[in-house]
Order: sequence, then C-alpha cells, then structure tokens
Amino acid sequence: MAGVRVLVSGMGGELGSRVASLLEDEPWVGSLEGIDVDPPRRRLRRAVFHRIVAGQHDRTVETVTAFNPHIVVHIAVWEPNARANTRVARGLTDDAATSILGAAAECRALESIVVRSGLEIYGRARNSLTRPTEREPRDPTSVYGHMVDDIERTARAIGRRIGVSVGTLRLATVLGPHVPSALGRVLRMPAVPFSALADPPFAVIHQHDAAAAFVLAAEARLDEPLNIVAPGAITTFQAIRRGGRIPVPLIGPEWRVARALNYLAGAPIPDHVQEMFHRGRLADGQRAREVLGFAPTTTTSDVIDQLYGWPSVVHTPSDVAWETAS
Amino acid sequence: MSHPSRQLADVITLPARSLGGHAAGVAGSAADQVRVWTANDVDDWGRDNGFVDRVWAASRLRWNVSVGGAQHVPKRKGALIVVNARRFALAPVFAALAIGGATGRPVRFVGRPDVAPVGPMMQRLGGLLPIPREVERALAADQLVVLGAAPHITNRTSGIVDHRIVGAATITKVPAIPAATVSVPLRRSARVEIGAPIRLARKRRGPLDELETADALQHHLDALLDELGGALTGTPLDWLPFNGIGGV
Repeated sequence: MAGVRVLVSGMGGELGSRVASLLEDEPWVGSLEGIDVDPPRRRLRRAVFHRIVAGQHDRTVETVTAFNPHIVVHIAVWEPNARANTRVARGLTDDAATSILGAAAECRALESIVVRSGLEIYGRARNSLTRPTEREPRDPTSVYGHMVDDIERTARAIGRRIGVSVGTLRLATVLGPHVPSALGRVLRMPAVPFSALADPPFAVIHQHDAAAAFVLAAEARLDEPLNIVAPGAITTFQAIRRGGRIPVPLIGPEWRVARALNYLAGAPIPDHVQEMFHRGRLADGQRAREVLGFAPTTTTSDVIDQLYGWPSVVHTPSDVAWETAS
Repeated sequence: MSHPSRQLADVITLPARSLGGHAAGVAGSAADQVRVWTANDVDDWGRDNGFVDRVWAASRLRWNVSVGGAQHVPKRKGALIVVNARRFALAPVFAALAIGGATGRPVRFVGRPDVAPVGPMMQRLGGLLPIPREVERALAADQLVVLGAAPHITNRTSGIVDHRIVGAATITKVPAIPAATVSVPLRRSARVEIGAPIRLARKRRGPLDELETADALQHHLDALLDELGGALTGTPLDWLPFNGIGGV
C-alpha cells in the first residue's frame, strides 16, 4: 500500500494541521491535499492546501474530484462556541459535510472515509450508561451531539451508496495547546462554576492522541465507529483544584446567570459543556485499542494539567514590543 | 534600646499576636487538609479511591467487618459477587468496601440511582447503574462487581437474585460468587463470608443458564447464611425458636 492519495478537510485547524503533519511522515501516503477556511497552523512540507470557504459547493467539488482521493479524512467540524457561536458552527459544519462528503462520493478512486464525531452522540439522558461502548444506540441530547449524529448519518449513507468503508472517530473533548475549545476556555477562567450536587466525572483527549487516531484509522481503512478517549477521568471540581482556580458551586437555577456571566467574560458555556458539568461524559475506549492498536499517551488528568500549564496571552503595547524587537 | 512605652505595648499585644498566629496556623493546616481531601483522582468509572478510603475508615467506627473466603475472589480477572441484603442496611455498599479492603482491589456495586446528589456520591464509592449492559461492561473490563439480592427484613434467608444482571456475568464468562453478609444491629461485629464460584452441573446454551445460575446463587447464599447461624439481633430474642421447636 503506497502512493495513497489522502484528502484532509479541516486542515487549517489545530487538529487538522496535526493530522496532516503526521500523514506527511507516513510512507504509505503518496500525495496529501487539504481544504479549510483558514490556512494550516503549522508548516507542512508535502501537503497542498486549498483555501475554500465552507458552502462554496462548486469549488469544493471541483477541487476534490480533481484530486480523486483514495481516503477522505473529514475533520471539518465546528464545535459550538469553540470558534463560532452555536448557530454559525452548525451551519458551517453542515455545509462542510454536505460539500466535502458529497464531492468525495463522486471520486472513482475513493476507498475509505474517516469522519470526526464526538462522544456527545450518546447523549446523557437519565439512566444512560456511564461508559458507553460503540454498540450503544445514538441518543444525542445536545446541539453538538445532533451535529455529529448528522455527520455520521450522512457519511454512512454515502458509504452504503457507493460501497466504501466509513469509520467514525467519536472523540472526547479535544484539548491541547492552542486548540479552541469551549471547555478549555471555561476551565481557564479565574472562577469556574461547577455542579455542587453532582460534579460527575468526564474524560478528554489530547489533540496529539486524537490526531494519531485519525492516521491509524485512515491507514486501517476503518469501517466502524470507535470511541477515542484518554485513560482516566476527572471531575470539574478536581480540575478546578488542579488549576488553582476559584470554584463556584452552583445548585440549579443560578446556572443561567453563570452562563450569561461567562458569555460576557468571553468563555460561553454551550449546552454540551453544561451537560458534561451536570451529567459527566465517559466512554469505553477499549475497542480502539483492539482495532487500531491506539494507545493514548496522555491521561485525562495530565491533559488538564497541561491545560493549566499553557501560558496565558500576554498583551504587550506595540511601542514596547517594537523597542524589544529592535 | 526601644522606648519603654513600646515595650509595654509589646507585652499587652502579645496574647493577641500569639492567638492570631495560632489561628493562622490552624486555618492554614485546615486549608491544606481541604486541599488534600479534594485533590483525589477518579478512575475510569468515576470511583474516587481517596473518598472510598475515608468512608471505609469512618464505617469502621460503627462496624468491625471481617471477611472470610477472600481466596475465592480472582486476583486480576472480573467477577460478580452476589450478596444477601437486609432492608435499609446498604449491604452491597459495605460488602463492596469490605471485600475491597480484604482483596486490595477496587470493588464496585450495582444499584446507584441516576439522580443527584445520591447517584454521583455513590458513583464516587464505586456504584454502577442497575442496568445489565453497564454491569456487563464493568465485568468485561475485569472489574469486581457486588450485586445485592432482593432485600429481606432479616438475614435468615436470601432474596431473589436478579437474573438479568447475572446474565451479564454469563455473557462475559466471569465467575458468579455468592457471599453471605451478616450484621447485628446492636453490635459492632459484621461478617462477609465469600463462597466458592458457582458451577452448574449442566451447561446451558441459552438464557436458562442465567436463570439457573441466579437460582443456584440464591441457594448457595441460603446455605452460607445457615452456616453463619442465620439472623441475630444481639438480644435474648435470638434464643427464641421463631422457626418452631429446634429451629425446624
């Protein structure tokens, strides 16, 4: 297996850039192209990047069909309140999925599609399993959960129609340096709200581990859903304690006020993050180990420690910066 | 040399300074304790080992639990341990804590509600939802899981064992082990006696396997309870033959 053509949608984001960077080092990858609204966040040596706004359907189809990829890695998913508000994120995600997966279906060489999904797809309804496996039914209870559910359904329908394998990676919340994440932003606030009555555990995944999972899935031509989750778990209060933040215990109705204040402070709490604070979010990642040999290198606690270890943005007046530089 | 009035002021404020310093020390150590108490980690299932250790230590003020037959519990593999339960006695919880203390392995129990604040608190202690799929996943992950039989008023006999949960052990091919729990309300002593894993005389391919295993577990539990002497109150009431002359 060599000379494989791989298309990465969402190559401009942190996760997409990392995936592209890892794919460049893979001997089986012949040529690599990517599509996104923004240019890649890191220097790529071999990859060809196309800057296409989500929704430019004709240009997307033209670019993808001209490349005629064997494998499409679809990472262009906008988590609500990570880079765009919920309404815009939903629109961009739908547009990207329709255009890119639709265009991929027109490619004769296509063999496999790998799409990004999330643990939010299982939902957190009453009496839902603490650690769902991939066999559990999808029952999303948040906007983001419904978004990733739509992507999975679209990809699976296309896969069935044209007879290619479709693998979906259900990622825990992705955190890492510079990764725009609603959860990461909330946890790094000086004072962080948490559910005093519940404070359930949740798991996350480091961006490097998530990127490695995409590469493994593409190489293996994955044809099933897999949970991608770091080992271990942590509760919101424990995360706050690790970060030395001020815990703000909330019981119920005041969450509305807390969400409004966080919104004003620039760290909005979308419904899937609030759901996680109230109901937790864990998953069984054993299947990914069995199928892909995927072994995350960073535990949930370590990811949270790194979250607080990243330096904050330091605002330097332009004249001072100029003096320092010159 | 300082002014005499300043020396006098030092003498007068000395107790206040000492008291302030002492209070600051106490507050500091209390804050350190809070930090230590709240800096625990939870495992993949949300069990908080530090919290479990503290609850176990606190429960020993009331109960002095001895565990027998711990050699029947697998060292590394998963197992379903079925205990008899007295109403309101939280037998599965304390049995899980006691077996965990005896084996040195984290032990979970079936039966946490999915409602805050009780549900999340029991999850910290190792509670699982009473859903067969949840128990199946825990057993498949080589966990020890304690299941309580239907509660009775006394420890004389065991209640019905939920065959749907036992089915999780059958599917994952882990041993189902009976364990009798006996406690005396007016005494500190309590006992958890773990029996040998259930082996059915006849292998079944279908759902009869879990039904028969559940029945066998109940019978073995009754036998273990008989060996332990049945229900006790710690009072002269124990001498009365409630079951008829000679206990027959």
